Amino acid sequence: MSSFSRSAQQWATFGRSWFLIDARMQPPGKIATMCAIRLQGKHKPIYHALSDCGDHIVVMNTKQIAFSGNKWEQKVYSSHSGYPGGFKQLTAAQLHHKDPKAIVKLAVYGMLPKNLHRRTMMQRLHIFPDDELPEDIRANLTEELPQPREVPRTLSEYTQEEIDAFPRLWTPPENYKMK
Amino acid sequence: MAARSMLRSVWTSFAGLKLGATGSNVIFQQRTNVPQLSTLTIQSRGIRQVVEQQEGKTTTIEGQILNIPATPEPPNPAAKCPIYRWNLQHKYNYTDVLLLSQFIRPDGGLLPRRVTGLCLEEHRKIAICVQMAHRAGLLPDHKPKPPENRNPTKPRQQLNRYLTPWSIDTVKPIYKVGLKWSKRRMAVGSPLLKNNVRYGVKHMNTKH
Repeated sequence: MSSFSRSAQQWATFGRSWFLIDARMQPPGKIATMCAIRLQGKHKPIYHALSDCGDHIVVMNTKQIAFSGNKWEQKVYSSHSGYPGGFKQLTAAQLHHKDPKAIVKLAVYGMLPKNLHRRTMMQRLHIFPDDELPEDIRANLTEELPQPREVPRTLSEYTQEEIDAFPRLWTPPENYKMK
Repeated sequence: MAARSMLRSVWTSFAGLKLGATGSNVIFQQRTNVPQLSTLTIQSRGIRQVVEQQEGKTTTIEGQILNIPATPEPPNPAAKCPIYRWNLQHKYNYTDVLLLSQFIRPDGGLLPRRVTGLCLEEHRKIAICVQMAHRAGLLPDHKPKPPENRNPTKPRQQLNRYLTPWSIDTVKPIYKVGLKWSKRRMAVGSPLLKNNVRYGVKHMNTKH
């Protein structure tokens, strides 16, 4: 804004901010797109690929990530160590059990541009499986980003009034006994 | 004589009950005839109560229906299927638990179609939506009782999921995905719900 002093304006435009994302019940792909955009700096109007304008992102609760469909069983993460017989294929469920951070990390890694900046951008991504964050990272956080997916309510979260307000769609026949 | 005939006329509506050769001065205990209820799915037929009144030599035994809550009139009463009666076709999803819970048993199973009155396609849509809701964990109180736990030492991994059309144990991993133009896609959601109303521009993608 034009009312700020020059130094304040400079800090606001070029300062590297720290974002927080809660990945509970969220699809890892959508989390990864949000991370990739902000790690490159593409959310800023002053973006340029060479100007190193990416921000830090902290992703928490990656242990409680939610895949749509049957991807936990169907999606396969493959890797080869380079040695003969070193081809490993793990389903998303197995990989998540082994390392709860890996799925989000691989997703973001694949969405960043495939150049030498990628490794520095990945260093600015901080992933935590639980919601326990170290003190120094918590001190740096500036903004929490909204969750991409709307988490639906379970039946136990509805109040009795809401359940009663919903009309009964059908009446059972006279002789029917619910088991 | 008159009392017995009056008794018989009152009791003919209750099919399951047997009335032996009882005299007119038999005192019945007040009984509430309540259909099996779970804590969440409440049938709105009303609770029937058997009331006994004695006036001198005549005994009046009546079955009264108490507490009839007024169900509002559906917008389209002429249709056969309850979902078409309430104009909810193409408008519900696996998240609409209040709707889906009306068609399930307390242990999570679906009620038969001849009882609920649904048409075949809506019954199938509700079935797949209920399965997806169970797998997403939206119906936590409708789990079936597990038989004596055979392997408590190896607990199942608790993974969050949503829009899972296939059963968890039957799905196999896709080891060979294929090339970009002929990939083996993973199914998300069901093609039965592809005609649902979408208020955005994007179409529903069932193949990820």
